[in-house]
Amino acid sequence: MKKEKLKELIIKSLSGEEPDHDALRQLEEAGVSYSFSDDFAEKVVNRIYSARQSEVINVDFLSMFNRAFYRIAITGIAAIILLLVSLYISQGSLSIDSFFGLGDGFEESILCVLTGN
Amino acid sequence: MQKHDPKYVQADDMELIKASLQGDRLAFGEIVNRYKSMVARTVKGMLGDTVFAEDLGQEVFIKLYNSLSEFRGESKLSTYIQKIAVNITLNEIKRRKRFLSMFSHSDGSEIHEIDIPDTDDEERIDARELVTKALQMVEPKFRVILMMRLLQGYSTKETAEILGLPIGTVLSRLSRGQEQMKKILKGL
Repeated sequence: MKKEKLKELIIKSLSGEEPDHDALRQLEEAGVSYSFSDDFAEKVVNRIYSARQSEVINVDFLSMFNRAFYRIAITGIAAIILLLVSLYISQGSLSIDSFFGLGDGFEESILCVLTGN
Repeated sequence: MQKHDPKYVQADDMELIKASLQGDRLAFGEIVNRYKSMVARTVKGMLGDTVFAEDLGQEVFIKLYNSLSEFRGESKLSTYIQKIAVNITLNEIKRRKRFLSMFSHSDGSEIHEIDIPDTDDEERIDARELVTKALQMVEPKFRVILMMRLLQGYSTKETAEILGLPIGTVLSRLSRGQEQMKKILKGL
């Protein structure tokens, strides 16, 4: 299509309150059309579903991590309770010092170890 | 190439949406195939015919996929996709304008000159190239209205609905955009 005719068509198709479908059709026939590459839909679908797949893997890993954490935490709490019970049985009472294994001579012992005297 | 699956060629949009929400990638592929030309016209008409426009086209469909569960069917799916495409494209234009404003004092509102090869009036020219370049030189707020008329064939009412603008505003912008386009075309 000649340049001036094309310009006229562009202006004509923009005139008026409603679109001039005849002018728009002529523009399209003149080559005013746009498209994406042939594999566009495939690329979009692959991007969406590969992203979803990696989300699923992340969720799986996190839930596995959570389960492992709970098991470790429960085992730790059980070990602490056992320690408290054994302390109570062996010493007849419970104190913070006994829980941490601290005795009266603790500071002196530490000093001896640190100074070598 | 994602082919049209025979199972879904006759399916209406709501059926495709339901199937897509259940994880059927062929159904979503059919939605993409149905509306990719419309999105291409919007994105490439607004930003130019570049590879980057194709990436942005992909973003449109990814955003559509992520918001499919919110689609209630109150408007046509094409209108819904068109709104997403226009929003994403306008945001990209704003982002580019902000980026360019870091390097110049221009407010970006003036009509930009774009090189177009000189051709004799009688010479046949690439119609798409002329339309694309002319559109790029129109201010974005008028460009979107011109694009929707020129490339999508939307009525004033449809344009107003998609852009969420009063009909009077669309008509006024169409008129001002048309004036800009006339000046631009004179120079091309």
